[in-house]
Amino acid sequence: MSQVPAFPLVGPFAERLLIDDLPRLLPERRREVATFVAHRVDTLPSFTRFGVLAIGSVFRLLLSVPGGWGVAKIIMRLPLPFVAEYPRLMRSLSFAYVWEHWPTTTPDGSETGGVAA
Amino acid sequence: MSAQQATANMDAEILIIGSGAGGATTATVLAEAGMDVLMVEEGKWVEQGAVVPFSLDQMEQQYRAGGVTVALGMPSIAYTEGRCAGGGTEVNSGLYWRPPGELLERWQREFAIRDFDPHELLSIADEVETAINVRNVPGPHSAPSEILRSGAASLGWQHGEVPRWMTYPHGDDATKGERQSMTRTYLPRAMAAGARLAVGCRVDHLEVRNGTAAAAVTTLADGSPGRITFKHVFVCGGAIQSPALLQRSGIHGHIGRTLAVHPTVKLAARFADAVNVPDDVPVHQVKEFAPHLSFGGSASNPGLIALSLLDQWATFRRAVTDWERMSVYYAAITSEGRGRVTSVPHMKDPIVTYRLTHRDRELLRSGLARLTLLMLEAEAEEVFPSFKGAPSVRNRRDVATMQQAFRASKATVMTVHLCSTVPMGEVTETCGADSFGRVHGQRNIYVNDASLLPTAPGVNPQASVMAFAIRNARRFVATGGTRV
Ligand SMILES: Cc1cc2nc3c(=O)[nH]c(=O)nc-3n(C[C@H](O)[C@H](O)[C@H](O)COP(=O)(O)OP(=O)(O)OC[C@H]3O[C@@H](n4cnc5c(N)ncnc54)[C@H](O)[C@@H]3O)c2cc1C
Repeated sequence: MSQVPAFPLVGPFAERLLIDDLPRLLPERRREVATFVAHRVDTLPSFTRFGVLAIGSVFRLLLSVPGGWGVAKIIMRLPLPFVAEYPRLMRSLSFAYVWEHWPTTTPDGSETGGVAA
Repeated sequence: MSAQQATANMDAEILIIGSGAGGATTATVLAEAGMDVLMVEEGKWVEQGAVVPFSLDQMEQQYRAGGVTVALGMPSIAYTEGRCAGGGTEVNSGLYWRPPGELLERWQREFAIRDFDPHELLSIADEVETAINVRNVPGPHSAPSEILRSGAASLGWQHGEVPRWMTYPHGDDATKGERQSMTRTYLPRAMAAGARLAVGCRVDHLEVRNGTAAAAVTTLADGSPGRITFKHVFVCGGAIQSPALLQRSGIHGHIGRTLAVHPTVKLAARFADAVNVPDDVPVHQVKEFAPHLSFGGSASNPGLIALSLLDQWATFRRAVTDWERMSVYYAAITSEGRGRVTSVPHMKDPIVTYRLTHRDRELLRSGLARLTLLMLEAEAEEVFPSFKGAPSVRNRRDVATMQQAFRASKATVMTVHLCSTVPMGEVTETCGADSFGRVHGQRNIYVNDASLLPTAPGVNPQASVMAFAIRNARRFVATGGTRV
């Protein structure tokens, strides 16, 4: 059965989180990370994927309206079960990818000048 | 020797679903007894060494859902399952523990396991140890392992090296072992005895009528459908997939209701010198508080170090560039909580839930505090516990503050030990399978994997899974697959 690809729903949110978390990460790396995150969401078990995409579409909608990112940040701070796990999942996948691929990345996303793995 | 690609229509006297610790050993026993055995495996065959252990690439190739699987709850518990020829044995840490003798006696008593001799099981464990080459590391221990040893020794806590199923073809470098997983040991042996292994073949459900299964409906790697006919079927898909498959086949009863795991909480510790080993785990474990609580070390590549700092990123992020001086450790508990595996019609994957008890949460709290103390004793400069709101810890006073701040609901809780979803025994109110793994109420459907362990064993479980699987398969051979 064909499924809706995750990238349009979760990719822009993953990129937006990275702009906040690792502001100096190169845009092409940011894109690469977001593509990886969306790919992983595509391979999630069916029920989890459904939940992630459902929550993801709300955040995606917020991203597309003026001031929506501010609202999204407030929602992310609330201890809402499952909803709070969405940004956490995005961040876990992103950070694991960033530091596995470019281990000399600093906390702001820039490179310390070492060799990437 | 490797596997063949599955085809649309296959037939065998014995079908074995899954090629992990349970499936590979079952296939070996039955094939060596002259039976016509077909194993089917959803994942692919990946040679040991073809991917970097504990990397994202390995997760992509050898784990189910890229390693992103979760048991929902408060907190949810992240778990991982292997999905490749050899199952979990290909990706795991290779730490070998026999099932404890007193536990076997308790299982026998409480679950009424018939014709069960704990000594027989331990003598099977002897055979397993030879077959998979269980041994200590030949040379000095890695730095992260040495940290566990020295911290525990300094506190006077019981600890030791856990042997592993490894060979060390490159001299005595403790970090260059080759895991003697199923693709290196039991699978080639089963195939040498005539068993076939078809990879890229997922069993969707069994066709069951009046307690007898006659065929398995499959989906091949390219998405095309298939069907396998057989006389007997052994379901060895692991503790999540086996009950899910049985439920999809219309078999319910005590199936999937008593998932047991060893939940873990983690921390990252930073030391004065470089200690990081990115692609291996420490071999020491601390057992002072066992069986309720154990400490060990986790894989610690830079990506995993970043993950361990994530819960408190705002204040812990500064440490990420020090990853070469850091390593990740865990506190694991024997949980009194239970979970459920529930298949939902028209959904490919089951819903998994888990509920920690109050006692579990308190044990996680004290476990993390004690592990932190051990790190300080091992001269950690700074410890970063993995939970939201965690303070970093530099001295004993900070440990108390950290312990107070801990809430299991804010922690990253994980597990890689899943069992007990089809517990074996004759207590029909709780057991899903009989004393030899045959599903209660079914004539020719057997389970022979981690699902059968009556409870979580409190030690790394693979040896227990293998020993029970061999015992049950031998019984099947002895009785000709008729009455057990
Ligand atoms: C990261 C990690 C580290 C671990 N470390 C240790 C350790 O150090 N020591 C230890 O003792 N244990 C360890 N374990 C646990 C150990 O690997 C498991 O207990 C053991 O592998 C369980 O064996 P099993 O046969 O039940 O399932 P598995 O070994 O998981 O095998 C099940 C196989 O069945 C296949 N399958 C499932 N459903 C289907 C289907 N419908 N159709 C076709 N195929 C299917 C799966 O793809 C999988 O390959 C670890 C596990 C993991 C994941």
